[in-house]
Amino acid sequence: MVKPFRTLLAALCLSLLAAAPAFAQEKTGAKPGFVLKPGTARVVLMRPSILVGAQSTGGMFEPNADWTDQAKENLAAALAAAQTGLGNSVVAYAEPVGADSARVAEYQELFDAVASSVIEYQFFAGNRLPTKKRKDQFEWGLGREVGALPGLANADYALFITTEDHFGSTGRKVLQLFAAMANVGVTAGVHKGFAGLVDLRTGDLVWLNADMQMGGDVCDPAGAGKRVRQLFEGFPGKPVEAPVSGTPAAVR
Amino acid sequence: MSITYRTGLSALAVFALAAPAMAGNTLIPPGLRVAVAKSAMTVVPSIEWNKLGARPGRNSESWTQDGDDLNDLTFYGGIEAGRPLFREVDKKNQPLPKVSATMLITDIPVLLENSYRVALGAASFKVDLVEPLPFAGNKGVRFTYSFSKQNETLQRRGEARGAVIAGKLYLITYEAPGLYYYDRSAAAFRAVAESVRL
Repeated sequence: MVKPFRTLLAALCLSLLAAAPAFAQEKTGAKPGFVLKPGTARVVLMRPSILVGAQSTGGMFEPNADWTDQAKENLAAALAAAQTGLGNSVVAYAEPVGADSARVAEYQELFDAVASSVIEYQFFAGNRLPTKKRKDQFEWGLGREVGALPGLANADYALFITTEDHFGSTGRKVLQLFAAMANVGVTAGVHKGFAGLVDLRTGDLVWLNADMQMGGDVCDPAGAGKRVRQLFEGFPGKPVEAPVSGTPAAVR
Repeated sequence: MSITYRTGLSALAVFALAAPAMAGNTLIPPGLRVAVAKSAMTVVPSIEWNKLGARPGRNSESWTQDGDDLNDLTFYGGIEAGRPLFREVDKKNQPLPKVSATMLITDIPVLLENSYRVALGAASFKVDLVEPLPFAGNKGVRFTYSFSKQNETLQRRGEARGAVIAGKLYLITYEAPGLYYYDRSAAAFRAVAESVRL
């Protein structure tokens, strides 16, 4: 089944949400009872999925290879700097080659689909699924077989990270201005950030931080640092830090 | 009209706009026969499902366990001749194929494939197996397929059962990513499909 119309409606709702902070939704979830004590686990950081581009006046996404490369460089540096402060050993995943590499990429996309479903059907209270409404419930996962990916045998958790930034074009910003005058909420830009921790013994998603409007311009080293701090806000086992402001990333 | 009342109305209008995506998702309990897709089609689920408030089109409805991108069970309850399977995406430039009253059961997988090719852009779609299987006591078809969405490498699998009865198309589809999710709810889908009555 496909949902073109619903996607539009969801976009409209997100626009409304962005325009009305009163509708603010949850951004972090964890499996009930999950605790990660510092210095007890080996976490493998999977290769982050990073995409940057422009958002046309009509809201369509146009990927930009230069911006994406710049963001990859900045985020890699920011992640390397943050890795040591997470309370547990975090090591970068040694990418396999060939068919295994394609399987790793599929798992990354599965993580994206799961994180998007958590946002749409659990964090967004107005659209929560009845089976996800039960008290202290956070039942999401990638399946036990994720632990069988090459190179994960000695690890306890896999850390998946996704960022996708659609910077509003001038036309989009002008549209936003006129829409605001007509009292209609139109977002200029999407600044999606997901960070999720998966238990490699069970395949369960034990912690997720996911937001469609994160802060920090990933094309700028300081902004990438801010994005990474926001992605790791509330990371299990991490020493407590001052919260990072959730102001959406600057438009380009 | 007082200003307060008008403000209230504007707020309501905002909710009304947002409503279709937020329209109540409801719980479908196991073991009870329920009518689906605003039609005479009824099924008995073996486990609980969530019925999504948003429908893919007229005479259809979707159930899910974890969200329609992770597991999607959709019922098409008697789509009339001349109508597409679901809502048009770009009617002017890329109209969806239409149901025909004279369709053979082997035309059903072709209709689904062509509808998805339009709706999902240039995504890949492959019908893997087609076999006759009675549907609610009528001559029907069962088929399996695999596809991926545009700009995605995540492989999705699907299984469907359907029939053309009195010139209308009845179809039940189940789709999920091949990794983990497909197998997780496939037995629950088959229990629903095997319980179908008209």
